Formats: sequence, C-alpha cells, structure tokens
Amino acid sequence: MRAYLPFVVIGLTTGAVYALVATGLVLTYKTSGVFNFAHGALGMVATYIFYSLRVDAGLPTAVALVAVVVVVAPLMGYTVNRLLLRWLAGAAPVTFAVVSLGLLVALQGSAIAIYGAAPRTVAPLFPGDTFKAFDVFVGYDQAIVVGISVACAIALVLFFRLTHMGLKTRAVVEDGDLAEFQGVDARIVTSFAWMLGTAFAALSGILIAPSLGLDATLLTLFAVQTFGAVAVGRLTNLTLTFVAGVVIGVAISVAAKSVATHPGLAGLPTSIPFLVLFLVLVVSRTGSFVEVTRTRVHQRLTGTTAAGRLPWRKLALGLVVAGMLPAGLEGRQLLTATSTLAFVLMFASLSLLVGLSRQVSLCQATFVVFGATTLGHFMDWGIPHPVALILAGLVMVPVGALVALPAIRLSGLFLALATFGFGILAQNLLFSTSLAFGGEAVVTIKRPGILQGDAAFYYFVLVVVFLGVVVVEAIRVTRLGRILRALADSPTAVESIGVIPTVPRVLIFCTSAFLAAVAGGLLGTLTQSVNPYQFDYFFSLIWLTVLVGAGAATLGGSVLAAVLLIAVPAVFTSRLVVEYQPIFFGVAAMVLAQVPNGIVGLFRLPNMSGAAARSRWRLERGPRQERVALARGARA
Amino acid sequence: MKLRLEDVWAGYGRVSVLRGVDLTVPAGSAVALLGPNGAGKSTLLKVAAGHIRPTRGQVWLDDQAAGRWRPSARARAGMSLIPEGRGIFRLLTVRENLAMQAGGRDVDAAVEKAAAAFPILGDRLRQVAGTLSGGQQQMLAVARAFVADSALVLADELSLGLAPVVVDEILQAVATLRAEGRSLLIVEQYAKRVLPIVDYVYLLHKGRIVFVGEPAQCQGSSLFERYVSGAA
Repeated sequence: MRAYLPFVVIGLTTGAVYALVATGLVLTYKTSGVFNFAHGALGMVATYIFYSLRVDAGLPTAVALVAVVVVVAPLMGYTVNRLLLRWLAGAAPVTFAVVSLGLLVALQGSAIAIYGAAPRTVAPLFPGDTFKAFDVFVGYDQAIVVGISVACAIALVLFFRLTHMGLKTRAVVEDGDLAEFQGVDARIVTSFAWMLGTAFAALSGILIAPSLGLDATLLTLFAVQTFGAVAVGRLTNLTLTFVAGVVIGVAISVAAKSVATHPGLAGLPTSIPFLVLFLVLVVSRTGSFVEVTRTRVHQRLTGTTAAGRLPWRKLALGLVVAGMLPAGLEGRQLLTATSTLAFVLMFASLSLLVGLSRQVSLCQATFVVFGATTLGHFMDWGIPHPVALILAGLVMVPVGALVALPAIRLSGLFLALATFGFGILAQNLLFSTSLAFGGEAVVTIKRPGILQGDAAFYYFVLVVVFLGVVVVEAIRVTRLGRILRALADSPTAVESIGVIPTVPRVLIFCTSAFLAAVAGGLLGTLTQSVNPYQFDYFFSLIWLTVLVGAGAATLGGSVLAAVLLIAVPAVFTSRLVVEYQPIFFGVAAMVLAQVPNGIVGLFRLPNMSGAAARSRWRLERGPRQERVALARGARA
Repeated sequence: MKLRLEDVWAGYGRVSVLRGVDLTVPAGSAVALLGPNGAGKSTLLKVAAGHIRPTRGQVWLDDQAAGRWRPSARARAGMSLIPEGRGIFRLLTVRENLAMQAGGRDVDAAVEKAAAAFPILGDRLRQVAGTLSGGQQQMLAVARAFVADSALVLADELSLGLAPVVVDEILQAVATLRAEGRSLLIVEQYAKRVLPIVDYVYLLHKGRIVFVGEPAQCQGSSLFERYVSGAA
C-alpha cells in the first residue's frame, strides 16, 4: 500500500487540475447552454500566451500569470461567447457542438501554425523542494497546485452563495427569461460565466504546462480528459464534477503504477477518463442527461429532400468524369486522385450520420483505422483482397451497433460526447493489441497482382466507391432516410405514428461503420501500410468540421470535402496551405454550421432530376383531394 | 407609467398572432385584457415585456419608443411582468427570490415590503420556493410588483389553477397595487373577477382588438358574451 502513496500524491495534483478545467466547463455550459468542446483549447491558447509573455517578453512569472488569467483568458471567453451566442442564439445543441469543435480545430491549428508543432519545455512555476507528510514526500509545487484548485472551488461556492452576481447566475441558470423580466440582463451574466470559466481553463493549462510541456496537442488532449468528470456531474453539478475530477486523476496515477508490469495494459490508465465518459453516458438511466440548451431556431432543411428516386444522372456524370481522370493524371497525381475517391466514400458514410440524421459522430476515424488493419489481418490469413475488404467492413458492423447504443438513448450533445469517448478509448486500449497494430505498430497490406498498377487500382477504388455512394444515395431517398430525417426533426412525432426509432438508428450507424471501414481498407491498400498515427482521434474531429463546412446533406458536399482535404494540399504544396488548412476548416465549420448544406448549399446547382420541381408541381396543382387536405391543414 | 402599443404585429416564425393591435394603459389606470383561448393575450403581454419583438408597430413606455429594448431594460425602467404559471425561481429560497426581485439592493427592505403585502411570505424566508404551496408561489411572484416598486405591472392569468380563497387574497393585493397609483394590465380568462377593479376593458379576438370600453359597458354586450367566458 505504501508504495502507492507517492502515486496518490501525483494523482491528486493532476486530479486537482482536471477538476479545475471541468468546473469551468460545467460553469459555462450551465449558464449558456453551450457545451464548449474548445474549452481546453482556449486554455491551451492562454497557456501559449503565458509562455510568450514570460519567455519572449520577459515578464516576471507572477505578472504573466495574472495578466493571462485575469485579463487575456476572460477576454477570450467573452469574445467566443459573444460570437457563438450572437450568431447562433436558439440553435440546436448539435449546431453548438459542431461550432465549438470547429473552434477547437481552428485554435489547435493556429497554435501549431504560430508556435510550431514541436513541444517546448516550461520552467517550473513553484519551488521543487519537498516536505514529508503521511510518510510520503510531497513537493511544494504539488501542494500549491492542489491548494490553488481547492481555493478556486471554495471561492466559486462562496461566489454562488454570498454575492448578488452569484445569485443572478443561479437565477439565469434556472430560468433566463424570468431573470430578464426581473431586470437581469442574461447576456451579461452569461458573458461573466464564460469569462470565469475560461479563466479556470487558462489557470489549469498554466499549472499543468510545466509537467506536460507546451504542446498544443497534449494540452488539448489533457482538457478533453476532463469530459469524464463532466459526465459524472451530469454536465450541471459543480461539486460532483470537481470531486470526480480529483478521483479520476488519482485513479489514472494509481492505475499507471499498477499496470507498469503489464505492457499489454499500458493504454489503460489514460483510458480511464474516456471509459468513465462512455460508460456513464451509456449506462445512466434514461432521462438523467437533459440538455439545458433552449432550442428556438430549427435547422433549415435542404431542398434536395423531396426527391423520391436516385439522382442517376448526377451519379452517372460523376462516374464518367472520375473515369476519365486517369487519362490526364500521372504518378503522384493519380495516387492523390485515388485517395480523394476513397475519402469521398468516408465522407459519404459520415454524412449519413451528420447530414441525414443530424447525429454528431466523433469516432469515424476508429472505423477507418480498423477497416484498414482488419483488411491487413484477413489478407495475412490468405483471404483474397476484395473478399477481405468486404469482410473487414462487416466486422465493423457490430462495432457500429455498439456505438449506436448511446445513439438510441442519448440525443445531440451527449451522443457526440459518447462517440468522442469511444473513439479515444478504442485508440488507447485497442491500437496496441493484435486486433489493430500489435507490437510492431504497423500493418502492411499487399495489393493483389492485378491491382498492382496505379491506374488499375484507381479503377478498382472507383468501382467500390461508386457502389458505396449508390448505397448512401439509396438510403437518402428511401423509407429509412425519410425516417431518419423525421427523427432528426421530432422523435416524438415519429414514435407517435408507430415507428420504433431504435432500428433505423442502429441500422444507420452499422451502415456508416461498414462504409467507413471499406474506405479505410481502400486507403490502407493504397498506401500499402497503416500506422497508429495516420488516423488518430483528432482526425474524426477534423473530418467532421470539413464535412460540415463543405456540406453534410448531399453527395456534392462529400466530394467537395474530399477535394478540400486531400486534393488541395496535394496540388498547392506550399507550407502556408498545409499549415493553415485546419484553421480554414475549423472556421468554415463555425461559420457554416447553421447553413443547411455548407459551401455546396451556397451554390445551388440546377436540379437535374427535377424531382423537387415535380413535387412542388404536385403540391400546387396536384390531385384535388390533396390540395383540399393541404388547405384545410393550413387553415386549422 | 403609461404603456402604449401602436399597430403591433407579432407572432412566432411566419405565423402572425397579433395583427395590428392598438392598446393604451394610461398612467395610474388598470386595464383588463380579455379574450378567448388563443386570442393572443399572452403574446401581447410578451411583446409589451420585450420577450417577443414586434414585426411591425411600436411599444411606448411613457414617451419612449421601447420596441427594441431588452426585457431587462424594460424591467429596470419600472415594468413588472408576472408571467403565466409561476413567476418564481423554484430552486432559490424565498429570501433569494425577493433579493432577485429587488435587484440585490436593500434586501431587508424588500422582505418588509413583501411581508406587508403577503404576511405568510415573511414566515417562509428560508424555505426553497419550489416547496411553497401553489398559492404562496403566486404570492411570491406578485410580490415582485411591491418589492421592485414597479410603476407598471403586467399580470398574466393570476388566478390560473388556484383555490378561490387564494385568488381573493391575490386580487386584493392587485387592488392595493392599483390604489397605490401603479398602472396595471391584467390578462384574465374569467372576466367577472377583474371587472370590478379595472378602469378599461380591451377584448382581443384572433389577434385584433374587437372591443374597447369601460366595465359598465360590458354588461349585456352581445359581443362580450360571445367571446368571454363567465362574463355575465
């Protein structure tokens, strides 16, 4: 037991910082109804600014700390809140999730573009001497960090209990409209909560930076680890969140000590927060997670939804154009085109969730990775390539069903969180096992003999992608698609006409997982090897922002997304394009999240199938009974 | 404080609920706004309070155009809306509710004013408001008009779902508000209860004002009997 004590001390220290981050996040969510995925990213940016003030500008540590926590971070929180809320007041939780994910991607991209991806070391903030307590050596720095965190928590409690601003905040949380009627400007209260919450994020980033290093990716990951604690607190209970943060921190540290002798379990400690996140969301009683977001503006629907048949002419045109491409391309260009095609399928699979049924899934990269590795394993067993490709897709179907589990029970934001947890969980726990990459951290996939040539392989990919896209389009225009669209609008109404929502939701996740895995298999076959770093959890976020920016509701959006993500940086290889790409994607997702169909939706192509025009005609001049019924409905 | 709605059009999305409403609450007068279900009474109050922005027309507070003011700005200018249902924070204590109503200034004086209007509230200061009885919750909501010393009080369906004896006590308090010279705009389903305490009656039907007059004119008016339950 005594051997564990030092690890408890370490765990308490990180746990105290987790608790600080999580408390800030819950504070902003409760008061504004916006779950800020970029909460930690804001703290990350603040930490970079602290570093610049301290190292580059040479300010004393205390001055830099106060300047960032008291001035810079609140300003950032104020700005983000004003931008998000002013633009999107009353939008659906899913929209806020997408926007803050866009912000996360943009902020991380900006930090890397400005400071470079290489981590920097941060000099300690506090003396490193130790003292002895309860038979264990404790660093003064550790004690100070825990002390600061606990002091912040107590100050927050006192703020809520004793000050009038605290009372107003509680009132706005309960009923913002009533607070307005009583003379409280809810916007000011919300802004204040965001300033406070972001200050918490900044403080925690600065406190953890000396041990974690100044690394945009690590700092952001550190902050998302607190989602587990946030879930335990049901996203609203500050005390529970704080305690859960500390407990999770200790659990990680103790687990790290316990599994030190079992290399196979090396991923377990860092998985604990995400295990907690996923399990709490999946296992909790129905109804224990309630969105506090007050939705007033409903998502506008696209004009392409009325069609009752496949857009054959568009599909054929796409096939012909794609079929002629190899004639004009050579060498690397052809590889880029192949990769772009495979990504069209991946984006199409994601659009089934995000565009069609308005469910945010943040683990699409998991399916892609496992599609590729499973394909490699099957081929090692001697299964021929095309068969193994389909099998690899099928293996992911039950996994898709597993992810659909929270989708059945949870809506919007909570589904996004659960899938986010699942993606990181799979990456931490399974990537190092023989199910995925095993000890070598690489899986090779040999192209079969007849597909050795790049042109031949291109056509193979084209055929597979075309079939996959036809499946996606078929789902869009048939009963399943209609049910899913209806579910996105009103689950209650769907159930009231006798449709059980479970089946379509599971079905769509399974289909999406299958297609994403196939796309992953194609990408793996193209590069002939995959490694764990190729598609980590962050890609799920980037892909989502790219798709939302490009347009999630139609095939055109998937094509544009693939071109923007793969073809553009391959053609314009300048450092500027490559580095600023994530920023562009993040900003595009933020700006276009509320637009029905992203960039594609801004340029409406003439409707080639004429289905929309036909249905409009039916509506206006159609059978008499229909017209009379419609008129009656309108009058009532 | 005088309230005037001038050619107000408002609604939800594309649906217009109010279609060209003109209504005036002269300073120090009490006005009853009557009408059948779905006439737009609550929408009219929400427009007056700033919760819904009119698509056309203007809201005047005294001589200031307030159509674009936030609800909080109107509240600070002296308006109190007692919304339908319970206009209280159920998770806060009675005292905290009163502190909110008073805007955080001089909470003890606020408690005194509330207890003068509704003595029972004075005994329940530390109780969580959600655990009060329905009538006491409504009293706490009405206390806002006294505590904030509002010059204009808008009340939406004060008697909804309350026992008759409680309704009497609350209407008594409303009469006190009027006697103190505050302007009142009262929405009620049951006209009989409010007619004795108002100066003017407006009748709203399908988003338009169809009748304006004094309470005495209402008795026996055929239009009135058609639209208002319990008018006789």
